[in-house]
Order: sequence, then structure tokens, then C-alpha cells
Amino acid sequence: MKGKILETENLTVNFDGFKALNNLNFNMEVGELRVVIGPNGAGKTTFLDTITGKVQPTEGRVLFKGRNLRGVPEHQIVRLGIGRKFQTPRVYLNLTPRENLELACNRQKNVFATLFSRPPLSDRQQILSLLETIGLVSKADIAAGLLSHGEKQRLEIGMLVAQSPDLLLVDEPVAGLTDEETAQIGDLLLALAESHSILVIEHDMEFVRQIARKVTVLHEGSVLYEGTIEQVQNDPKVIEVYLGQKPSINAQQMKMIRIVAAMAWADGQLAPEEIDVMLVRLSQMFASDREQQKELQLELRNYIAANVAVDNLVAEIDSDAEREQLLKIAYDVIQSSARSPSEPVINEDEAAAYQQLVKMLNLPPEVVQRVEAKATQS
Amino acid sequence: MTVDVALGRRGIEKQKRRSLLIESSVVVGIALFLIFAMPALLSDFRLNLLGRFLALAIVALGMDLIWGYTGMLSLGHGVFFALGGYAIAMHVKLQIPADASSQLPDFMSLYGVTELPWFWQPFHSFGVALIAVVLIPTLLGTLLGFLVFRNRIRGVYFSILTQAATIVFFNFFNGQQKLFNGTNGLIDFKTILGATVSDRSTQLIFYILTILLLIVFYVLCRWLTSGRFGRLLIAIRDDESRVRFSGYDPTDFKVLVFAVSAALAGISGALYALQSQSISPRAMDIAFSIEMAIWVAVGGRASLSGAILGAVLVNFAKSILSEQFPEIWLFFQGGLFLIVVMVLPDGIVGWLKSSNFEKLLTLVGIRPQVATYPSLETDPDVQQEKESLGNKEL
Repeated sequence: MKGKILETENLTVNFDGFKALNNLNFNMEVGELRVVIGPNGAGKTTFLDTITGKVQPTEGRVLFKGRNLRGVPEHQIVRLGIGRKFQTPRVYLNLTPRENLELACNRQKNVFATLFSRPPLSDRQQILSLLETIGLVSKADIAAGLLSHGEKQRLEIGMLVAQSPDLLLVDEPVAGLTDEETAQIGDLLLALAESHSILVIEHDMEFVRQIARKVTVLHEGSVLYEGTIEQVQNDPKVIEVYLGQKPSINAQQMKMIRIVAAMAWADGQLAPEEIDVMLVRLSQMFASDREQQKELQLELRNYIAANVAVDNLVAEIDSDAEREQLLKIAYDVIQSSARSPSEPVINEDEAAAYQQLVKMLNLPPEVVQRVEAKATQS
Repeated sequence: MTVDVALGRRGIEKQKRRSLLIESSVVVGIALFLIFAMPALLSDFRLNLLGRFLALAIVALGMDLIWGYTGMLSLGHGVFFALGGYAIAMHVKLQIPADASSQLPDFMSLYGVTELPWFWQPFHSFGVALIAVVLIPTLLGTLLGFLVFRNRIRGVYFSILTQAATIVFFNFFNGQQKLFNGTNGLIDFKTILGATVSDRSTQLIFYILTILLLIVFYVLCRWLTSGRFGRLLIAIRDDESRVRFSGYDPTDFKVLVFAVSAALAGISGALYALQSQSISPRAMDIAFSIEMAIWVAVGGRASLSGAILGAVLVNFAKSILSEQFPEIWLFFQGGLFLIVVMVLPDGIVGWLKSSNFEKLLTLVGIRPQVATYPSLETDPDVQQEKESLGNKEL
């Protein structure tokens, strides 16, 4: 059955006059993997606190599977099927990983069941397979306080899974991890997303790109933007919020930069020369005097990202003039890709990417020829 | 600890069973020694003291349960202790010979009471008195615990609150001459179940009863603190709000533990009152409740044997020192607490467990000496690899 697993309506949380959440309207489908990003103080953690009952909303309400969570105590919310992982790993340091999982895995959580009933065999098997999944078999029986930071993070995710919740709230799971560990956690979350709804809060954009399908940007307690990762990264409002300054180019121009960058990336490398050419051309195109151009170059550097899905972006550039502009920069970049004398002037991968771009742009052949000729002359 | 990993799951179970066997034989051995050897070794006076201190060890167990394991420092256990003591003492004070001129406890006629107060009536029955010893502290503990824990009062605030409760009860019992003989408390015990309380044989029975009950409650506490329930108590102590997000309601668990520890205090109080043949509001003095915390701290928090050891050791030190130098005992007690807090934060048992016991075992040759680079020899990953290769010597 598909439906909304989580909805918030006009959610406001007021801490002595400071609105940590401000009229937040948010919803999530069953089975969705959603990433929430936002600068510091955007209200991300308060948002999770409100869902899990740690903070009561001043106004508005939170609905989980259509049920209003106002006034429901934290442990009841957990039993309804919401699991939460905290920002810093919070595991029980004096217990072993096995015992940690055992506590999380327990199905009957009232006092007397915990005291009198023996854990069933199925629980033990689940714990064993979880220990394998999170890679802590060899350290299953030493105190969790002796584990490394990454191991604690994995253990806490394991504890979360052991609760078998329907909705997982994961707060910055890769903070302080190495790249390899980050990728592992990403894979773990993607595997979990097959059978759970997951809401992830994260700063690490590389990680967000690995797992995200739909991204919500929070700013000052409300939703600023919602969309795919590409849309989010191209949105000037989001960039302004994140980098703290208003971009001096508009959204369309931003998209052009991304398309060209993606093309230059087609051979798996983005050479410094390519970036320079791109930036110089672009700044010349969008700014008039030298000072401005230099500033713009610095700013644009921040916007270049790898692995962008070009198709959607190209489709969004609709005016013919802009398409011509785009083609021109792209051609320039291709021309500049020779990095050493032994390399052919035009890198094959990039050339292919360029050809594809031309096809996608769908400009008349005479226009393409004219642009190319003009670019070669100059 | 790390050796366990190499043994695998089955090995751990085996080792657990073995250590359980060792533990129970040690407990039985100590009990037999206390019951049969001690009466011959000690004078009657010292034996009576030992009996009293073993009774105090029961309240120390309760204190350890609530403080050492669950992390709540109660400074009001004196109340539960005294309530248990008063319950049994009230029964004893009602053992009046049928031919006596007044059928009231001796002190009441002094204050001009002519009729037995209604709540004294049920204490004619020994059974009711026994139930009251357990039930009154338990109910009070449950009620207090429920109100306090439901409102998420923790840490220092909890300690202060329990102290305030102590003062309330102290003032009540201290002020009621007609009901409880005020400051003097209930003294001058005559008979219980037909036996004279002060007789040597009666006291010996109390002494043995104390030891048996101490073992029963030690086993009870062992059962509570091992297994999932015990782990949850430790989890509550270490990170209570995380426990909530694992789906448990800590309030219920804390109320239960508080009630159990109150019941233990009540029973301890009753046994102590019978052996010291008196109970007075001094048992509700804040200082006495703080002393309980000191016993547990000295012996070792979160260790049941530590609590028992601490209670007996500190009290013997107290009685010997206050006999020799009556004026310095309090300084000594303060100094002891400071030393424990600063030098031995885990108490005597914790200190033995942490490293020195291992060293001792190595010296005696029971545990193999770690010969090479230690972290390699004790690294769980390395151990597991060895295990899976089936190459024990590497």
C-alpha cells in the first residue's frame, strides 16, 4: 500500500521567541529515501526532535501513517515504528555490541517481559546476521566503549535496524568518517532503503549525491526547496543560503556551467586547464570588466561538480541564444583539453560527449558550423 | 575479556557456566564459614556486630542496585530502613505478658495513652508485621519513585529530593512521643514468638537468618543485574534518553528497581533492629543514608560483592576506630570517602577487577602471561583470524 508515511502540517517550534521551525510543511511517501540538507541552524535536528517527540511543536502537527503524534511519549513513538540515529554515535559504552543489539532487538519492551522472558532464538540469529552486516563479529564481546568512531556509527545503525522500524531517521551518519567508511554507510543505507522509508540529514554533498533521490532543503525552519540533487545544486536560492552570498549569475547560466563541466569530466578527469578555460570564457561572457571577471571565476569554481546528469539540464535550456552560448563554451573547452604534447588535440571521450551535446541541443547544422568556425578563429 | 572472543560463542557459554559454578561455591563456602566457624572464633559481642553489619550489607545491596547499576544516588534509604525496623519493633513491643497491668507498650503509659492507636492493632500478628516489613517500604518506594521518575527528575535533584523526604520522616517520627516514643525510639525488646530477644541462642538464630537472607538477596540481585534487565539498567545509567529511543520507558524500570531496593532496605532494617534490640529515628538521619552510599562507594559501585564487602569493612573500621579514638571516627570517614572518590573511583572490587586481579593471577600462574606486543595478543581481529585459521600458535 502506498501512502504518506510522514507528514507535517504548519509545524512551528518556538524556543522563547526563536522559531527553530517555522510553518514547516513536509511529506514523505512510504518507501522513500529522502535527504534533508540545510545550513547550520536551519532546524534539521529540531525537525527530528519534533518527529520523535523529544520536542513538542508549538503549533501544527506531525502525522505518522496518518496518526497525530502530539502528546505521544518518545518510547511509544519508537514502538509505532520510528527509529532514530543520533548525530554523535550514541551506543551503550559499558555494554558489548552484542548486548547493545540485544536491547534494541527486544520485541516486548515492558518491564516484566524484559525481566522474565528469555530472548527467542530468532532474536539471536538476527543479532548474529546484523553483526555480520555491520562487520563487528570479531568485536561482538568487548565493551562498545573500545570501538572506533566508525565502528560505533555502524553499531548504532545496526541497533536502529534491529528495532525494525518502518521509518528510519538518520542524523548525519557519516560525520567524521573516512571516505571508504562513508561509501560503506551509503551502501548500507541504500540496501536498507529497499525495505524501509528513510529520512537522512546530511552535510556531506558527495555522500548526498551517492544516496539521494529527492532532496529537501531547510532554511530558517521552513522548506526552501525540494527536488532532485541536480535541481537543488542549480538553484540560486539554495546556493545563496549555503555559500552565504547571492550568485551573480542566474539559474540558466548556472546550468550551462554544469553541463560544460560534466562534458569536460567525460574522460574521468577534470584537468585544471579545462577548468581555467571554462572559467575564463564564462566570466568573459557574464561580466564586463576584469575585476568582476576575476571575482566571478572564484565564485564559479564552487559550482563545478562532477557526475551531473546532463540530459535534464540541457532540456531546461530553451532559448536559442543560450543554446548557442552553451555550444560555444563547450567547443572551447573541448579544444583546450590537450594537456600534454603527446595527447591528441581532442580527447575522444570528451569529443563523444560533445557530439552528444550537439545532438541534444538540436540546433540547425549551419548554426553549429558557424559557432565552431567562429570559435576556431578567435 | 578479549580471550573470550577467541573462544567463540559456545566457549563463552561454557566459561560462563564455569565461573557461575566457581561463584556459587565461593558463596556457599563463605556462608558455611560465617555460620559455623565465626561463632566459635568471635566473642558474642563481635558476633552480634558482625550480624548487624551483614544486615546492613542487605541495604547496601539495594543501594548498589539503585545507585551502582541504575545511576540514581538515593540519600533517603534510611527512611525505608527505619520503616522496616519500626514494623518489626512494633510487633515485638506488643509482646506483653497476659497478666501485665497494662496491655499497652511500656512507653505509651508514660505519655498517658490509654488506648492502642489503630495502626498498632494489626501488629499483634507476627505475619502482618513480616508483610509490613517488606510491603510498607515497597509501597512508599513505588509511590515516591513513580512521582519522581515520571517527571524525569534525575541526578542531583533526585538526591536532594530523597534527602528532603528523609527530613520529613525524621521529624515525624522524632516528634511523635505518643505514637513512637519520639527520639528514644522503640527500645527494650522482650520476646518474639515466645523467645527472649536478648538470649544468646535467639541472637544466633537472627545471625544465621541474616546470612541466609543475605544470600537469597544476593542471588536475587545477581539475577536482576545479569541478563537483559540488568543490561537495561546499565543502559539507563549511561544514557537514559537513548533508552527511550530504543523504545523502552525508563520510568517503569526505575520505579521497579527503586521499589526493590526499598524492600531490601526494609528487610535490612528489621534484621538490624532485632540484633541491636532497638530502632530510633536516628536511622532516618541524613548522615546514616549518606553512610550507605559510602559503603557502596568503598566496596565498588556496580559490583554486588563490593557492596557487601564495603558495608562490612567500613562498619568494622567504624566500630574499632570509635572504640579506640571516639573523636576521630568522623574525620576518618570523611577521609575515606575522599580517598575512594579520588584514588579508587571504582572502589576496592573495581580496583581489583580493573587490572590488579589479572596481575595477581598472572603472578600465581593461573592466567598465561602476555609475552609479546600486547595489542597483538589481545586484538580481537587477530584472535578471530587465528581461530578461523585453526592455528593457535600463529
